[in-house]
Order: sequence, then C-alpha cells, then structure tokens
Amino acid sequence: MSEGSVEIKDLVKTYTDDRGRPTFTAVKNISLHIEDGEFMVLVGPSGCGKSTTLRMVAGLEKITSGTISIGERVVNELEPKDRGIAMVFQNYALYPHMTIFNNMAFGLQLAKKKKDFISDTVGRTSKALGLDHMLERKPHALSGGQRQRVALGRAIVRSPKVFLFDEPLSNLDAKMRVQMRSEISKLHAQLGNTMIYVTHDQVEAMTMGDRICVMRDGLIMQVADPLNLYRQPDNLFVAGFIGSPPMNLLKGKVQRRDGSLFFTEATEKNPLNIPLKGKLEPLASKYIDKDIIFGIRPEHLSDEVKDPAHVPVTSTVEIAEPMGSESLVYLKAGTANLIARIHGEHLFHLGEQVTVQFNLDKVSLFDAATENVIR
Amino acid sequence: MTAHQKILVRKVAAHGFVVCFLILVLVPFVMVISASFRQGDFAPSRLLPDKVSLDHWKFVLGIPYQEVVNPATGETRTIKAGTPPLLWFWNSIKISLISSAGIIFLSSTAAYAFARLRFKFRTSTLGALLILQMFPMVLSLVAYYVILDFTGQHLKWFGLNTQAGLIMVYLGGISNYIWMIKGYFETIPATMEESARIDGASQFQTFVRILLPMSLPIFAVVFILSFISYMSEYPVASVVLQSSDNWTLAVGANSFLYEQEKLWGRFAALAVLSGVPITVVFLLCQRFVIGGLTSGGVKE
Repeated sequence: MSEGSVEIKDLVKTYTDDRGRPTFTAVKNISLHIEDGEFMVLVGPSGCGKSTTLRMVAGLEKITSGTISIGERVVNELEPKDRGIAMVFQNYALYPHMTIFNNMAFGLQLAKKKKDFISDTVGRTSKALGLDHMLERKPHALSGGQRQRVALGRAIVRSPKVFLFDEPLSNLDAKMRVQMRSEISKLHAQLGNTMIYVTHDQVEAMTMGDRICVMRDGLIMQVADPLNLYRQPDNLFVAGFIGSPPMNLLKGKVQRRDGSLFFTEATEKNPLNIPLKGKLEPLASKYIDKDIIFGIRPEHLSDEVKDPAHVPVTSTVEIAEPMGSESLVYLKAGTANLIARIHGEHLFHLGEQVTVQFNLDKVSLFDAATENVIR
Repeated sequence: MTAHQKILVRKVAAHGFVVCFLILVLVPFVMVISASFRQGDFAPSRLLPDKVSLDHWKFVLGIPYQEVVNPATGETRTIKAGTPPLLWFWNSIKISLISSAGIIFLSSTAAYAFARLRFKFRTSTLGALLILQMFPMVLSLVAYYVILDFTGQHLKWFGLNTQAGLIMVYLGGISNYIWMIKGYFETIPATMEESARIDGASQFQTFVRILLPMSLPIFAVVFILSFISYMSEYPVASVVLQSSDNWTLAVGANSFLYEQEKLWGRFAALAVLSGVPITVVFLLCQRFVIGGLTSGGVKE
C-alpha cells in the first residue's frame, strides 16, 4: 500500500510580483521521497524553504516547476481538498466565530456528509483528544494547547492520507510543547498515516521524526534518520545545526610530521595539534596541507581515557555549567573554544587545567572548501 | 503661582476651549431645530423662537393647516404640500438603503480580490482607485447625465429621472470603501481562509462563511458612512431626479429655497427629519462595531 507516500521531484518555487517578475526563489530544486506511514520532519533555519515546501504539498502555493505526487497521483494542479491532506497551522487558524464542534465539522459539512456521520466522527475524535466537554464553546474560550488540539482534531476528522504540520507547537509554552509533542507522536503511532512536520526546532525534529530532512536556503542538506543525522552529518551545516550544544568545529590544516598526520589549528601562535590516527588517517591523507574542519561532539570529549582511540589535549576551563547528571564545560585549548559534556561527578573550576580526551573514533572531518564531510 | 494654581489654570483653559468648541458645533444645530418650530420664515434673530408654531412640521408631515393671509381681516387659507415631503423622506431612505447595501456587496467583494488574490495590475488598479476617489462625484455630473439619458432611451426605468438610475450612479462611488475594507481584510490572518480551503471550501464559500462573519465591524462602518452621505447628497440627485415625486429629501428641501422667498422653516423641519433615519441606522449598526471578532482563531 503506497497511497500515503509522497514524492517530491525537482520542486522549485519562485515568488513573483504582480507583473509576474521573479522576486525570490524560496525552494531551489529539491527531490524527496516520503514513504507511506512515515513521519518526515523538515527542519532548518527560518527562510530555508521548509514551510514553502509544505505549503506546496498542501496546495496553498503554486508550484513553479517540478512535480508533487501523493500516492502515485500527481497533485500539482489539484485543489487542496482533493489531495487527501489535512494541515495543522502554527497559529491554529481556527474559525473564531464557530463553535468547536463546527470548527471540526466544517470540512465534513462542506463535503455534504450525513449529519449522523458528522456528529459521530466529531464526537469520537473530540473524545480521543479530551475536547468532548467543550464542543459548544468558541475558540477564544480555550487555552493555547486546547486550541491546537482542536486544530489537530479538525485535521483528523478529514481522515487524510497525509497530515501536514506547519510548526504546530511553536506558539505553545515549553511544558505544553513537550506534552503535545508526545501526543502527536502517539497519534502517528495510532493512525499510522504519513506525516510531514515542519519545524525550526531541532529537538522536535530529533524526537519525533522517523527521518529528518535538513534544509538550508531552499536546498536539502541531508535526509537521514535522527541517529544517523547526528552521528554522520553530510556537511558542516548539518553538523552545526543538529545537536545542542553544537558540535565543536575547529578550522585548520592537515600536516605530516615525523611520518604521522596531525590536525593543526589555523593560528599563528600556540596552535592546537591533534594526531589523526586510526580511521581518520586514510581520510586525512588526501588533504595534506589543505584546509579542513575538525568536528567533534561535546560528549566525545571526556576527562578519562577509555580506549586507545582517545588522545589527550591540554585545556583550560573557562566556564563550567554543572547540571547534575553532567556538566557542560567550556574549554580553551590552543586558541580554540571547545564545549565538553562531561559526567557530573567532578566539579570544574574556572582556570583549572584539564586534560580532555578526544575520542577520535567519533570525529568528523570536513573539507573547508566544499563544507562536505570527508569520507 | 503654586503648582496647584497652575493645574487649576490649565483645567479652566482646557474646559473653556472644549465649551467654546461645543457651542460652535451645537449652535447651528439648535438654530435649525428652533427654525423648524418658529412661526414664519424669517432669518432667525434669536436662538430660541419667540412664538412656537407647528406649521412647518404640519406641512412637512403632510397635515393641512390654516395660514393667516391677511392679518387685518383675519382671512385664512388652508395649506397642504403639493408633493408630500414624506414621500421624499421615503425616497431618500429607500435610495440610501439600497445604495449602501449595494456598496457593501460591491466593495467587499472587490476588496477581497485586492486583499487576497494575486493578479496582474493589482497594485496599479489599486493606485488608480485611490486617485479616482480624489475627484468628487460632482465633477462627472455631465457624464452621468449623458449616460443616463442614453440608457433611458433603451430602458425606461433606468434612465434620467429614475431612482434606479440614481442608485446606479451612487454605486460608482465605492473606491474609498474598497480601500477601507481591504485594509480591514489585511488585518485578518490568511491562515483561517487557507484552512477553510483545505477543508474544501470554494473561494466564494471561504469569503462568505469565514471572512464575512469576522468583518462585520467594517461593514457596519461602511454602511453608516455611505448611508449618511447618500441621505444628504444633493448635486447628483438634483440633476438626475427631475419630477418632484422622485425627489430625495435633500432635493426636496432645497426646493423651498426660492430665489425670491426662502422658506427656512420647512427647510429646517426637513433637515431635522432627515436626521432620524441616520440616527436609527447608526444605532443599529453600532452594535456590530465591536472588537474581538477574530480573537481565538489564531495566535497573535
């Protein structure tokens, strides 16, 4: 069964002014396949084209070129209602003058469904969402979380093949956001529908997505499942965007000294030197005397030696943020600033000298010119 | 002068200014009311009439009354208006109501297009509308005359000296209302309409079922404004409407101001009368001029 799969091919969106002159290209040729029943998250900084892409799937924006198919059927020219989609907006977009019941029933009423069927469907959905006691209220009498739940319910009653979410949680407070996040995840598990979810929040992306599509400037940077995205970023942008605190990225060159390869930080005095051993050696050997970027996640800096893949680097503590289970330690090594996520047993002090161990197995090297990972 | 005195002086000055201004606004109004109750048609010398008479009101309301012709003999005659002024009153209300309703329909649909749809020459058309509205309707009187003269030759009910013709001319004056309503529409987030579109509503259904209920305040304002302006519109009506049974209140009232004899009393009574429907419409529409119609729909 593939009726909920979404195929985006060579999609381009160029906005035009009134006279049809192009003003801005929001989406620059992207292709993406979304499996039936998959939870795909589109993530990226604002202006990266993720919402525009979603709106084109929804049929709210005209497609400049390329095709979008939902379940084998090209939907480029179809009206939103005929695409088998439902959408949840960031600002809820409820109908303020209608009751909650009518808000949820509006689509079914327009589709001329039978009255019994409508009240039955809306009743069942509202019960599942815990809204059944407020069906006669109007949206302004509801809290933010309840409103977004109504919007969710309005999407569910249409029984779409594909759910589209446009930053649905960013207007909620932190606590509500976490709760709704798990509710949407549960909903996905229950219904098993395809869901496309746009967010700028990488935590939402990581926690909810089956796969994540990272976008920047109208282009797809990488599509992968959350762990692969985190562990094996394709490029510098993904490496920096995913993960909090972000990956440590050091600019420098590969140098050969006494037969071994070193990463040498790009600075005049007191550069940081890190030996490139093990799996890094064959990668680095192609980049001798060339600019690269050395990337390592904060949790791969530790204060104890675990195995031979660890190399020691002397550094000074600049700030320490003990959080109980772990400490975020801001270090200076050479001229480089590093963030380490170290287990919480040791309390670090300002100015303290620490020897941190770099886990070379977990290092990513990037070509400084192309910003792509070196494989 | 102490600080207390300074504040006192400021208060007295501010109140003095407001009172002067109120007098400036209210005196003409009181004069018109008093003129409508004053005996005779002399230019008012005092604010309040020395002799109260209901003659002018009787005339305006179509009630016959006795007038002394010769004070020496006490000879009287019965006076009754030729064309009952109440007919003009009714004409005015009819024309203003129909025109205002038509204006709401035309300008709201046009404003929707300008606010929500993207089409070629949108901005230039909007600019043209803005410039057009700067010219008063009176400037095209001759054109209206010629056009209605022409249409009247083909459609009897739709030419010169017909109320339908006048309404049609009035419906032309919608450009500033389009701008007003468009401005209001643009304050309403488009996501609610997009959401309705996904729910399967056509463009027209979205307009009628989502946008219109949220726009009642601006429609009420537009209705009031256009109703007031057409209740008192004179130049166009006086050219288009020629026979006295078609006249509106403004044209009828003006007919009492002959070159040789200005019948201020009747004029004043009609003027006061024309205020009645305006007040009623205002009170009715005011109920819709409320905020918060869109609250709860979207997160601001």
